[in-house]
Amino acid sequence: MTTATALVPETGFIRWRSVHAIWWRHLLALSRVWQVALTWFVIEPAVVLLAVALGIGQLVGEMEGFGTYAMFVAPGIVIGTAMFHAIFECSWSTFERIGQSYYETALTAPVTIHEIVFAELLFAVTRALISTVAVAGFAIAFGWIPLSALPGLMLVSVGVGTVFGGIGLLFAALSPSMHALSLVFTLVATPLYFFSGTFFPISVLPDWLQPVAWIAPLTPLVELARGMALADLGWVHVYCGLYVLGLTALLYPLAVRLMRRRLMK
Amino acid sequence: MLPATRDLDPADADANPETESILVTAIEARGLVKTFGTLRAVDGVSFRVERGETYGLLGPNGAGKTSIMRMLAGLSPISGGELFLSGLNVAEHSRAVRARLGVVTQADGLDGELSVRQNLEVFGFLVGLSRRQARVRADEVLGFFRLGDRASSEVDELSGGMRRRLAIARALMGEPEVIILDEPSTGLDPESRIRVWEELAELKRADVTLLMSTHYMDEAETLCDRIAIMHSGRILDEGTPPELVSRHAGSAAMDIRPNGSSREAIRRELDAAALTYREVGALFRVTGGNGAPPRLPALEGVQITERAANLEDVFLALAGRGLQEDQA
Repeated sequence: MTTATALVPETGFIRWRSVHAIWWRHLLALSRVWQVALTWFVIEPAVVLLAVALGIGQLVGEMEGFGTYAMFVAPGIVIGTAMFHAIFECSWSTFERIGQSYYETALTAPVTIHEIVFAELLFAVTRALISTVAVAGFAIAFGWIPLSALPGLMLVSVGVGTVFGGIGLLFAALSPSMHALSLVFTLVATPLYFFSGTFFPISVLPDWLQPVAWIAPLTPLVELARGMALADLGWVHVYCGLYVLGLTALLYPLAVRLMRRRLMK
Repeated sequence: MLPATRDLDPADADANPETESILVTAIEARGLVKTFGTLRAVDGVSFRVERGETYGLLGPNGAGKTSIMRMLAGLSPISGGELFLSGLNVAEHSRAVRARLGVVTQADGLDGELSVRQNLEVFGFLVGLSRRQARVRADEVLGFFRLGDRASSEVDELSGGMRRRLAIARALMGEPEVIILDEPSTGLDPESRIRVWEELAELKRADVTLLMSTHYMDEAETLCDRIAIMHSGRILDEGTPPELVSRHAGSAAMDIRPNGSSREAIRRELDAAALTYREVGALFRVTGGNGAPPRLPALEGVQITERAANLEDVFLALAGRGLQEDQA
C-alpha cells in the first residue's frame, strides 16, 4: 500500500463519534489518577523551571534580546515538557493499550484505524495543552512569560502534540517490547529536550551541529514558542510553522500505516 | 431483562438485491480464505448461519476458527472468497457490518484503567449510543449478567468468570443483530463455565444470532443448533450435533483400555469384527456400532466401557480422515 492510499479512510470519512469516544475514554482514565497526574503536570515541571531559572539563571545573567535567562528558558521548558507528555501518551500508553487489546476491542465497534490515530493525536494534543497551561501558568506567575503569550503558546502546543504524538505512535507501532520502546526517550525525547534551543540558543553550538539542530523536530516549536513569548515573530517562524505542518503531513499517514500493520493481521 | 435484538433495518434491504435471503441469513461465507504467508489458515470455507441460530465452529487450536471470526469482525483482512453479514459484504462494508455485530474476543479486551460500569458506558458511546442511552443500557446488561453489585469495581478485582461475562455484556451494549464469541468458556472454572452457558442459552432464547468457536465438545453439544467441524482451515462436515454423531460415529460406542493385554491382539479382534476404532493414547475408541455394542469374547483382562457416541468420536473420525487425506 502506498502512503497516498493510506490517507483515504476505509469508508471515506472520519466518524467523529469514534474519535470523541476514544478521547473521552483517555480523559476518563487520566482523571481517575488525577493525584498522580498532578505531579506530572505541575510539580515535576515546576521543579525543573525553578532549578534552571533561579539556579542556572543566577550564573548566566542577562541574555541579549531575551531579557533574563529565566525569560529565555521558560518558553523552552514549557514546550519541552509538553513534548514529553505527547510522546509518553502515544508511545508508552499506546503500547500498553495494544498489549491489553484495547484497540482490538475498539475496532470491533464501527471504528477505523484512522480514527484511532486521530483520537490518539487529539489526546496527545490535550495532554500537551494541559501541560502548557500548567507550566506556562507557573512562569507567568513569576513574570518570566507575559500572560498575553499564553494563547500563542497553546497554539504551539497543538503542534507539539501532533508532531510528538505522531513520533510516539511510530515507536509504539514498531516496538516489539517495552525495552525497545524506551528508545523513544533515550534516542528522541531526551536529546531533543537539550539540543533544540531549549536551554541555550542554537547559535552557540559548533557550526557543524547547527544545521542538525535546525532539522530536529522540537527546534521549530521552541522557536515559535519563544517568538510568541517575546511577541517577536519573523520569517524564521514562517519556516518553523511550515516545517511543523510538513512533519504532521508526513507522520500522520505513516502512523496510520504502521498502526494498521500492528493491529490488523 | 433480556437484551433486545435490533429489528432489521430497512436500509439492509437496499444494500443487497437478495432481500429475501438476507431476512433469514445472518452470516454467509463463500469460499472464504485467509493466508499468512504460505500458511492457509482458512482454506476455502463456506457456511451459512440463519437468523436466531447458534452456530458453532468446532476444532482444535489452529483449525482456523479464530481467523474466520477476526475476518468477520474486521480485525483481519480477507485473503479470498466472500463473507456477508445480513447481506452486507464484509470486505466492502466493514464499518456497517461492525455496527451490527457484537464481538467477544479471546483476550476479553477489558479496560483495566476504567471501572466495570465505565467499561460498558464508554463502549456504548463508542458504538453510537448517547451518554444517557449508554447509562441505561449498562444497567440493563449489568442486570442481565448479575454484575450490578460490581458496577463500581475495578476490572482487576473481578474473577475470570466475571471478566468473561463483562466482555459478553460489553458486546451487547449496541444491541447487535449477531454476536460472535471466540471460545467463550476457555480458561474458566466449571462453575463459571456453566454460568456463562446459561447466560448464552438465555440470549439464544431471546433470538440473538450467535456464532461461536470452541474446542470443547460438551460446549458445542450444549449450546449449538448446528456445528461445523473444522480442521486445518477446512470444514470437514456440518450439521446438528445428533446428525453428526449418527453420521460419523453411529449410536453406540465403547472404550477399551488394554490394562497390559497385547495391543496387537485387540487390533486383530476389532478388525475381525469389522469395527471402526481409533487409538488415542493407551485407549481404543470403538465407534460405528448401531444398537447393542458387539461382544468381543476373545478379549480378556481388558476394561471395556460402553457409552453413547458423542461429538468427540465424530471429531476423531473426521480429523483422522482429514489427516490421511493431507498425507495422501
